[in-house]
Formats: sequence, structure tokens, C-alpha cells
Amino acid sequence: MEFHNLNEINELVSKIPFVKIIREFKQNELFTEGKILVHNIHGLNESLDFEVVIYPQYPFKSHNSEAIKFVNKDLIPYKHVMGDGSICIHTLHSPNLKQKLNADFESLKNWVIKYYVNKENDTHYEHIIINEKPFNDTYYSYQFTDVENSFTKGEFGKIELIHLNNGIYKEKPISNYLIKSFKSYNHRKKRDCKWSEYYMKKESNSIGFFVFLKDVPALYNRFAFTNWLELESYLPDNFLKLLNEFQKKNTKHKNAFLPIVLGYETIDNEIHWITTLVKLGDLPTIGVSIKDSKGIKIKGQWESKLIDKKIDWAITRNSSYKYLFGRGTFCTEITEAKILIIGVGAIGSLVAKTLVKCGAKNISLIDYDVKDPENICRSEYEFQNGLYDKTQELIKILQKNSPFVNVKFHGNNEYFEFYIKTLHKDKTARKSYEESLNQFDIVFNCSADSDLMYVLDQLKLNTNLINLSITNHANDLVCAFYPNIYKFVQNQFVNILDNDVDDLYKPTGCWSPTFKASYNDINLLVQFALKEINLIYKENRTKDNFTLSTESDNSLNIKLIKY
Amino acid sequence: MAVDKSQHLNQVLETHRMAHINDLLDKYKEKRKEVKEALEEKYKENIYSPINSGSYAKHTAINVKFDLDIVIPFKRNSFGTLEEMFDDIYEFLKEKYKNDATVRKQKVSIGIEFYEDEDGHFINVDVVPGRELNDKQYSEDSNLNLFVNSKYGLLEEKTHVQTNIQAQIDHIKGKGDERSIIRLLKIWKATNNEPYKSFFLELATIKAFEKEDISGNLWEKLKTVMEYIRDNVTKDNFTLKDPGNSNNDVANTLDSWAKTNLSNKMSYIIDNIERNSDNIKTYFPINEDFEEESKSDNKYGLKDASIIAPSIPSKSQQFG
Repeated sequence: MEFHNLNEINELVSKIPFVKIIREFKQNELFTEGKILVHNIHGLNESLDFEVVIYPQYPFKSHNSEAIKFVNKDLIPYKHVMGDGSICIHTLHSPNLKQKLNADFESLKNWVIKYYVNKENDTHYEHIIINEKPFNDTYYSYQFTDVENSFTKGEFGKIELIHLNNGIYKEKPISNYLIKSFKSYNHRKKRDCKWSEYYMKKESNSIGFFVFLKDVPALYNRFAFTNWLELESYLPDNFLKLLNEFQKKNTKHKNAFLPIVLGYETIDNEIHWITTLVKLGDLPTIGVSIKDSKGIKIKGQWESKLIDKKIDWAITRNSSYKYLFGRGTFCTEITEAKILIIGVGAIGSLVAKTLVKCGAKNISLIDYDVKDPENICRSEYEFQNGLYDKTQELIKILQKNSPFVNVKFHGNNEYFEFYIKTLHKDKTARKSYEESLNQFDIVFNCSADSDLMYVLDQLKLNTNLINLSITNHANDLVCAFYPNIYKFVQNQFVNILDNDVDDLYKPTGCWSPTFKASYNDINLLVQFALKEINLIYKENRTKDNFTLSTESDNSLNIKLIKY
Repeated sequence: MAVDKSQHLNQVLETHRMAHINDLLDKYKEKRKEVKEALEEKYKENIYSPINSGSYAKHTAINVKFDLDIVIPFKRNSFGTLEEMFDDIYEFLKEKYKNDATVRKQKVSIGIEFYEDEDGHFINVDVVPGRELNDKQYSEDSNLNLFVNSKYGLLEEKTHVQTNIQAQIDHIKGKGDERSIIRLLKIWKATNNEPYKSFFLELATIKAFEKEDISGNLWEKLKTVMEYIRDNVTKDNFTLKDPGNSNNDVANTLDSWAKTNLSNKMSYIIDNIERNSDNIKTYFPINEDFEEESKSDNKYGLKDASIIAPSIPSKSQQFG
């Protein structure tokens, strides 16, 4: 089967002014291949030749990569060239062969100018290229985050690991780990990774070693070394000695393997780690006897030397806060805030999960209620957890979502609502509630409890109290800021909004009936409200109460009204 | 059912009259008298006769939030500096009321907040010390210099500002329509916890009456004043001359961010009330403590008694 019109390709390429075809394009099994020469580019004195390989999907991309490769192995030392000598390009989408070919060759020309002729350096950091492979047919991954102090060159020691889980990765089994701490043998000090309390409390069930190399263990600063001999000038002798001693102590476990993480500096003194796996019974070292000044072996004295052996690279990821939340968060006024959520039903659980997904670091929860199966469909609760205390389950869910959020109960969790309503008139009790709430920067009241809303509105608070609730069918959402909550919300529900309380979800017995609305109905308004709240904090706007109302006569609209 | 906005506003004014709280007001007056007598005894011939000022003196007070102000006019040579005057009166009051009240330095006054009394009331008296501008001239021109203790709009702390309390009181005399609107804006400020200064709202209202044709029913008048504030407060040349000192521009007590917020607020209020008259209850609520029984919406005294049935939530039920 012919995938491309070869005449058309040859003709189109021959018309590109800075390109000369030196071997015509022909189909070779799946691929269309040819050889070209790039010349007549300002600043380029010689010409450069490239093997060109066009994949059958072309002009479409495949797996987010271009389906055309320009290969010249001599160019590997230059930036943005892969290990196989192919130039790394990303261009526009086009289903039109001519347009796509022109764009891709133009991109090749730009690479030549930028990185071959001008030898420009990028300001951003690019990870080195590592051939991450399974070990004994299983992948192993190691995630790290920031620690308090930096490392010194040649420092080495032990790492404590937390086993996260086993899963499937690229159709093979994978075992995932977090690095919990680095215990330096040089300084006898331990540096804990800055994961949340939840992860740091997990028992470390395996260990490994670390060496901070400082320099990048890679060819051209880009391709991670592939043989242990290349690391000879990087690894301190004492570390190799330690490795051998460890092996001797564990002769019974010669099939066990050990991760060794190697650290190096990237930009802005940031540290990156990469992990290699070694089998205890098959270390990449050999004992060599030490010779005296005359070249005679000293009896009984040995040193370890690296041997010619392939490095097995495992998977390592920087999962520090900066990387984990690099793609988008709420503003720091929210992410750094100490936040309390009162009431974690539909709205409260959506608020909590969204805050955590958007990078919030400190969240406390209050709710006396339990989760029943019918709560699941429109909240963040999960079926697999069965019946559960809402706060308990939500804490679990939030901790699973971020290794940087500390989540806890606030105070006397289940009785908060009971006591505060009973005692709010008592001066001393009221003061202690005020103090207890004022320790938070932001308090979301998502309880939809008008009595509690009234009581909270009466307190003298320094915290930012925000009341969020919706009308039946989630037609409207009301967001009110302390100290203008109670009267505003009451007037909205009673006089302004159309809160249809006749059409409620079937009451069962004398238990309160509930509102009708789906996850989508509620979350749509909650997300809109949280976006507005984020803007209020980010841009220091006035905290004006607002309502969101959905209108769906012809097309769906959400109207925000500020008060 | 649509709300008759003017009728509602009249009811708002009526339920916020000071006359409803005569007993409490008497307590305030009693306290103020006590403070006044103590200061007269302490400073004797160094002061002229203290005068009552503030909203009560201007007939713009509302019964949900108020204090009583008293101005102490010191003679020119009583103290070396205004700061000494301010500190001396502060120290005296602090010592005198150390067991009965919290005494604190405010922008140009000293606030005395008496501890809760047996009826659960907190009584506030603000004492404004001033010094006559020119020796022996106060009786004729009423001009005073006040000490500015902390940053007051554009005025830096530890400076002074000239004023004339009598001129400020006279400025609003005989202006009944203006007073109604000022009281409504003060009710809005108090019940919605707005940060804007009453004196700013007062002068802006009087200026609106000077600049615009303000007529029609109470809502129309209020709306025109709010439109005037909305459209003018953010203008660069917008000024509010202090009747007590023509060099003092009260418009400067708000920075441009606050002026924009005030303009936006006026806009939201007008739009939201015009869109749904029930919104008037959010911004200008009736003081339910003094609402006549017969005018109340329903026999249960509940705002939301459209449905009172077992096991069915009322309209006020929030969900979440």
C-alpha cells in the first residue's frame, strides 16, 4: 500500500529554496525515506545533510510527535537533537500536505539558525534524556520533592522510601515509591522531604542510596550516561566502598535490588535526581588490590572500581509543589491560607476537592453527618468506601489528591453545630468560638444551615467567612461574605430567587427531603463561584455578595449579579 | 409581589427614628453629661463651653448605630502643642474610666466605650478636643484646630486640621429632604457594614441636591442622589468642601480604589432594586424591632411563612 504520493512529495520538497534533494523520496515498507541537503541559509557556511523519514500518518502527528524526522547523527551534541540524531521540532497542525511540509521544513531551518548557527541556550530547563526501562520486567518509579537544605558535591548516604502502590505502566507492572528522606553519611544529618504529614507518617519499608554528583551525569548535558564506567569520576571511592560493604552484609539477598539516586543541579540551584537500579549480587564494581608506591600489591588491601556495565535507569520524577501544581493553581492568598470548611455535603466536598486540586495547603473540615450511598452521585465521595463519616472519607480523598495538603478535623468535629447553637449567647463560649474561627484565614460555610448561618453572622470575626448555598434544582447559587450574610441570604431565598420547594426529591418518612440537582448542575455553579472568589482574592477586589443564576430558555447562560 | 419602594423607605426611616429608643438615648445623654462635667471640672477656665456635635446634633442619627459626640474647645494658650492637648485629655479619660470603659485614641477624637450595662447596652461617647485658631476669637468665629492622631484620608498622622463644628451643624439646618436621604444612606452603611464615612455621604448628598433636580417620591430622590454619587465620585475634579474649613476636601478621605468601589456599589444598588424591588430590603431594611405589629407580613412574625407544613422545607431553605 502506498501511503503518500511520492511524486508530489519530491516535487514539493524540491521547490523549498534552502533544500536540495540528494536522494529521492521512496517508500521503504511503512516509511517514506529520502535524503536532503540544507544550504543557502544566512550564517551557514557549509551545508548539512539529513535523512528524512516520513511516517505513514503524515501530515498528521502521532502521539503528539511530528510524523516526519530529520536525522543527522553528527548533530547529537547540539541542542534539541534526540539520541537517534533526529531534530526535535513541533509545528502547526495541518491536514494539507503542502502546507505541512513547508511548515516542517521551515521549522528545520529555524533549528539550524537557532541551535546550529547561533548556538543559542534556552532559558528554561529541559530534562536530560534517559532510557527508562523495566527491571526484571517491572517498572519502578521514584518521586522526590524539595528538602530543607541543599547538598554538597560528593555527599552520599541512605534514602528512605515509601511504597505508594503497584499498578500498570506501559502495559507492564509498575511499583511506585516516594523518597521520604535523605540520611547523609558525610554530615550525619537527615533531610526530610517536604511531603504532607499524611505521607511523612507512612512507614518507610525500603531503602536505597543517594549520591549528590552536582554535575549532570549525561553526555552533552543531555543524554544520561549508559555505562557505569562513565560515572567513574563522579562517584566518590567511599561510596563504592559503602556499596560493597552493604553487599557483604546482605549476601543472603543477592537477588534483591537497590535503587541509587544520583543528584545534580539544574538551573537556579534546583536539584534533580535520577535513579538507577542495581542487583545486590551483581554490583557494577570489582575489588582491585591496592598497590604501594613501587607498584606492588599490598596484601589484604582492596578498593572498589567501577566496571564496564550497562546502567539500568528506573523512572524518577520531580513531584515538588512547583512541578505538581505548575500547570495552574488558585492565587497564593488562597493556596497559602489556613482554610476551614463547615459542612461537607455536595457543595462543601466540591469546594474542598477543588481547593486541593488548585494547590491549597491547609484545610480543616467540620461535619457531623455520615455519607450514605445516595450522597455519592453529586459529591466527591466514592462508592468503594461504602458508608463512612463524611469528614473521615473526605480527608482520605483529599490526602490522596495532593502530597502537599494537610487536612484535619477542626475542634470537636461532630458537636460543633450542636454546641455553637446552644452556647453562642454565653459570653465566654462565644469568645472561644470566635478565637477558634479566627485562627483561620478563610472559612467556607457550606452547611446550608440557616440557624448556623445566623449564629456565625452574630460573632465578631476577623476571618473571611464565606457562605455558599444553592436553591432547589441548583438554579441559583448565593455567595455571601461576612459580615453581610444572614439578612442578605434570607432575602435572596425568600424574596428574590425562585426557590421551588414544592418539587423536592422524594421525602422518605419524616426525614427532611432534599433538593434535586446533579453533580453537573451543582459543580457548574460551584466552580463559577470559586473562580469569582479566586479573582476577588487575586485582584484584591471588594468582597461583594453575589448570586449566580442559570437561565436555559434557548441556550444555557449563567448570570452573575453583584450586590 | 412588587414592593412599593417609597412606602418601604418611609417605613425604614420611621423604624430607625431615635424616638424609638428614648430610654437608651437618655442613658447616652446622661453619660455624655457626666463626661462633659468631668472635663469642665478638670480644665476649668482653659476651655470654652463644650458643644454637642455629631449626627444627633445634626438630626441625621439612626437608632441602629450611633454615638454621641462632644467637642471640647480649648483656649489658644492652654497647651503648647495640639498633641499635648490630645494626649492630656486622653490620659485623663483613661484614668477616670479605667474601671468602666475602654478608652482609645481615634483619628481626631478619643472614643469612650462603656462596658455592657445591666440592660446589655454598650454606650459610646466620642470626645473631640479642639483648640481655638486665634487667641480669644472662638466665641466669635468658632474656628478650631484638631489634632490628627492617625492617618485620615490624605491627612498624615501627627498633623492638624482646622474645622468649625458650628458651621458643619449649620450646613445641614433646614434641609429636611437631604436629611432623609442621608439617614437612608447611613442605614445602608450601618446594616450592610459599609466602610464609607458618614460625613462623606452627608456632604455628597447635600452636593447632589445642589447640583441635580431632586424631586419625586422618596425612592426617586434617593435614586437620583445615588446616581449622582455613582457618576461623579470617581471624577478627578470631584470635591466635597468641608463647611467647617473650605481648604479641607472631604472627598480626599477616600482613595481612588475606595471611590471606584463606592461608585460600583451605587450602581449595583440601583440596578438590583430596579430589576427586583424586593432587593430594596437587602440594602434598606426595616428595623424590625420597631415595626408595628399590624404591618408585619404575617401572624407568626416570620418573614417566610408562605408554607407552614410538617416536613416540608420553607422557601428560605438553603441547599448544599
